[in-house]
Amino acid sequence: MLGSLLQAAIIVNILASTIRIATPLLLGAMGELVSERSGVMNLGIEGTMLMSSYVAFLVDFQTNSIILAILAAMLTGAIMSLIMAFMASTLKVDQTVTGLALNLLASGISLFWYRVAFKGTSTESIPTIQTMGTVKLPLLGDLPYLGEIFFSQGLLTYLAFLMVPVIAFVLYRTHTGLAIRSLGENPRAVDMKGINVTRLQYMSVIFGGVMSGLAGSFITIGTTVRFLPEISAGRGWLALVIVIAGNWRAGRILLATLLFAFLDAFQLQLQGIGIQFPFQILLAAPYILAVVVLMSSRARSQAPKHLGMPYMREEG
Amino acid sequence: MRPFARIKLEKREDVGLFGRLFAILVALLAAMLVSAVLIKFTDASPTEAFTNLIKGAFGNRRAILETLVKSTPLILTGLATVIAFRGKIWSIGQEGQFFLGAIGGYWAYRAFEGLPALALVPIIVVAGFLTGAIGGMVAGFLKAYFNVDEIISTVMGNYIIDYFLSFLLSGVGPWREPGSYYQQTATISENAHYPLLFDNSRLHMGFLIALTGSLVVYLILNHTPFGYQLRAFGSNPRAAKFKGININKIFIVTMLISGGLAGLAGTGELFGVQYRLRPDLSPGYGYTGIIVAMLAGLNPIGVLPAGILFGALINGSAQMRIATGVPTALTYAIQAIVLLFLLSAQVLSRYRIRRIEHAG
Repeated sequence: MLGSLLQAAIIVNILASTIRIATPLLLGAMGELVSERSGVMNLGIEGTMLMSSYVAFLVDFQTNSIILAILAAMLTGAIMSLIMAFMASTLKVDQTVTGLALNLLASGISLFWYRVAFKGTSTESIPTIQTMGTVKLPLLGDLPYLGEIFFSQGLLTYLAFLMVPVIAFVLYRTHTGLAIRSLGENPRAVDMKGINVTRLQYMSVIFGGVMSGLAGSFITIGTTVRFLPEISAGRGWLALVIVIAGNWRAGRILLATLLFAFLDAFQLQLQGIGIQFPFQILLAAPYILAVVVLMSSRARSQAPKHLGMPYMREEG
Repeated sequence: MRPFARIKLEKREDVGLFGRLFAILVALLAAMLVSAVLIKFTDASPTEAFTNLIKGAFGNRRAILETLVKSTPLILTGLATVIAFRGKIWSIGQEGQFFLGAIGGYWAYRAFEGLPALALVPIIVVAGFLTGAIGGMVAGFLKAYFNVDEIISTVMGNYIIDYFLSFLLSGVGPWREPGSYYQQTATISENAHYPLLFDNSRLHMGFLIALTGSLVVYLILNHTPFGYQLRAFGSNPRAAKFKGININKIFIVTMLISGGLAGLAGTGELFGVQYRLRPDLSPGYGYTGIIVAMLAGLNPIGVLPAGILFGALINGSAQMRIATGVPTALTYAIQAIVLLFLLSAQVLSRYRIRRIEHAG
């Protein structure tokens, strides 16, 4: 009797963590989807997340305001992706190397800024912040099991899952969405229609950046009271993997996200139970899974045809 | 009818050495300006910080040699990047392969510990190269036969190797120094140390390996059929396919060499400088190598001055921190800023401004 109850509690716990862990991955992947649909492969989202997670931490620490921290993280995401858009769309520089540069920039600046802003903090007095807390939805939150799994989460988690149908709707059911998708397939056709290619690409990439900014804010103020160097820990890269594994479709991206999040939640639970197993192998599991997923998802039928290639308008 | 001549930006076919050097100069100056602003935030004087940085890097014989010590792994990871990027293979796995080289070297050291230095050191070097090469080859293989994007596979590889090392050095792992509080191996015995090149300096044999590596990569790229194929593939993948070049072989062999070079960087750091395997053996040498390669214009000989420049930056930053309190993390920011400005400046140097008379 007690055994089975305990097991149910563990399963609920794992599933609730899955939803929580999915949040930054989903935000990042859905943002990247919009960016890639417009033809820009933003490899800098790892850095965008890292930078915004630091800024969210800093603003939360200084002002004690979660709202301001989230807004600041969104702004940081916008600025980082503005650099990406400028390099990719205006200067037409190689997008791969630009993305790498953004990641290195974020590693350097966030660490430098942390060292400057929190000068003289030692290991005993690591600065901490208040975190976001969860919101139990009325009625739904009281459902047995489901309430605990799905409806007692942080606000950013609800937002992340809400954005999936919203983005799918905008991409597939609106004129703007059609234009964005055409950009990734055939930018010349979009240009011929008199739509401003550069502007639309900027908007898409910056939207992706803002989503990564939200993801970054969740990493610090949504989950932990401290900031550590490289705290984003590959979540941005996993978001990129998820977009490929999801074959650039919103629904499949959601599924792929849940798969990665479940694996992570599962290994956390194993660690918690204290099973005799080298936990580093468990920690590496999502990255191993990423390679396996990419090996098996050879169909890239929905990849934007013009992804990663700058659009050059021939001048008359 | 327009009365005025228009000014037009026109794309140049060939940038030329002057254009490239100009782009590098602009990028370095712009990065210095931004760094000065960042230094201002720390309440230190930028002039004082830069002076100390340069003094720390080139101030005396000892400082210069130490700069070369720091540039040794950067030259090797830079070369690893050059050979991959020349074939438009975007490997970012140099950081992971660096650690693989250290792991492989350490494994060989444990296996052949009793041998005299004359036999042991070459075995360690070969083992380091091979382990790095295997790591690179896996990414090449995944790209060739499973169409797995090499950017993603190498980044994932970096994380996986990071955790693997952390396991090796953990309490339950096999290599943890007995009784140590830290994640580290015991100190390596002297018969496995890379020979030092000068008195009163840590400059070791690895620097000569790096110099040789630069020459070898130059020869491979410019004087072998494989190098020709690699460059042909890099400049036009589609045409190379039609010419009947075996692309899968290119992926795998290129990544093998690239991984091996990065591996040698890790072996050199472990057996030439640190003498202990720790998770912080590299402060990001793999990633800095990418910037070194870009700054060198993907030229294997150019990697030498570019590597020394960034080695100087890392070496000088220590004195900068001691004298002015500016965190050494600044150097990582500077590296990325140099890369961003370099990319922009390269674009601009590819254009020239021309007045054209309007014709109808």
